[in-house]
Amino acid sequence: MDDRRRRFEELVLPHMDAAYRFARWLSRAPGDADDVVQEAILRAFRGFEALRGSDVKPWLLAIVRNCHLTALKQQQRRAFVPLPEEHDAEDGQALIATTPDPESASMRLDEQRTLERLMSALPDEHREVLVLREIEEMDYREIAAVTNVPIGTVMSRLARARAALKTRWQKEADREPHALR
Amino acid sequence: MPCADASRVQAYFDGEVDAVGAAEIERHLERCADCRALLDELEQLRAAIRRDLPYINTPPPLRASILRALDQESLDRQGAAPNARPRSEQPGSWRSRPFWKGAFSGFGATAVAASLAFLLLAPPSANPLLDELVNAHVRSLMPDHLIDVVSTDKHTVKPWFAGHTDVSPVVADFAEQGYRLVGGRADYFDHQRAAVVVYQHGSHLINVFSWAATDASLPKDSSRNGYHLAFWKAGNLAYCAVSDTGWDELRGLVQLLQDLGVHDDRQ
Repeated sequence: MDDRRRRFEELVLPHMDAAYRFARWLSRAPGDADDVVQEAILRAFRGFEALRGSDVKPWLLAIVRNCHLTALKQQQRRAFVPLPEEHDAEDGQALIATTPDPESASMRLDEQRTLERLMSALPDEHREVLVLREIEEMDYREIAAVTNVPIGTVMSRLARARAALKTRWQKEADREPHALR
Repeated sequence: MPCADASRVQAYFDGEVDAVGAAEIERHLERCADCRALLDELEQLRAAIRRDLPYINTPPPLRASILRALDQESLDRQGAAPNARPRSEQPGSWRSRPFWKGAFSGFGATAVAASLAFLLLAPPSANPLLDELVNAHVRSLMPDHLIDVVSTDKHTVKPWFAGHTDVSPVVADFAEQGYRLVGGRADYFDHQRAAVVVYQHGSHLINVFSWAATDASLPKDSSRNGYHLAFWKAGNLAYCAVSDTGWDELRGLVQLLQDLGVHDDRQ
């Protein structure tokens, strides 16, 4: 393995899972995420020289986001595809982590599906800041680097995203009291 | 009407304010019920997201496919410009950044480091079979070497062996007992094509090697370089499970496989 490849594996590939998760949340279909993350990592490898002094994870996730946007544009140009109403059952299952307590398993499954569905239904710019902050645990500066907006915009989007998710979650809870503790 | 300090409460919640700012906000929180409620909501939402949303990792087939694409890309680059390395690859240009940060956080990198350490440091042992097995195990941990047939279904793995190895070992998924079937691989050692079944236990991988047994007795269970090797015979096959898990965990899988082997023979 050559030197460049080795450095790439050491620096960038530890973030492959984060890249994949981010792609999954950006894309509507899992297959799209596969293509996006593969393309992103190849692009990152080709543009490895551009990475200088900056943090690796925001750099890689910014590439993932660009690849996603490019793919989205191509899809829109090709055909007008209606967005799926929700994930199909099998896909939802595959996403869900194991639950420790079997007694509350079905209830937890409901909650997981509810929150996942609500997140998926958020506008893209809301969903992405929430994922970067709460799941990838990035700070404002890093989120700004990934989403290519000023930190002030990150803060206001994050506030709107949280408020929107909370409102929808609350509505859901009012409709199905058991879905929320 | 939300409090004018709401955005500062969010910044405080996200750990984005310094100690002085934090103290100010904490004083404000004592006085402002709206902001206390907001902080509470933020905490609930974060807890729900981290508890209920799936934390998914790259599926192994996709990871393998990406590594293959990188191999191809590396080859293309070398072929296209064998002498013209980009300037930034010159020594020095990347040393300013924290090189080791994250370098060993990936499974692949750790495995490569472990394998390099092993290959460099391991003294030859009296029993070459042990060396061969540990070598094969370590080699399997390198990127793209672990699995030839990815499957959690024994009905996929077992027939695959028929065409690719000289033996047909027991294959089963023990996910319920904590040993998840990950896939299978053909490996060459002891002068024959051995079958390897790969299990995952927690974050550890266990390779179960199997090959046609001879009359010679198998080595005793032993440890080499941090890896445990458990041997047994079943029918006309010799088995060896290799992993860096504890002995108890490794023997747990061995027991399950032995029980199953007895069952298989009756069929």
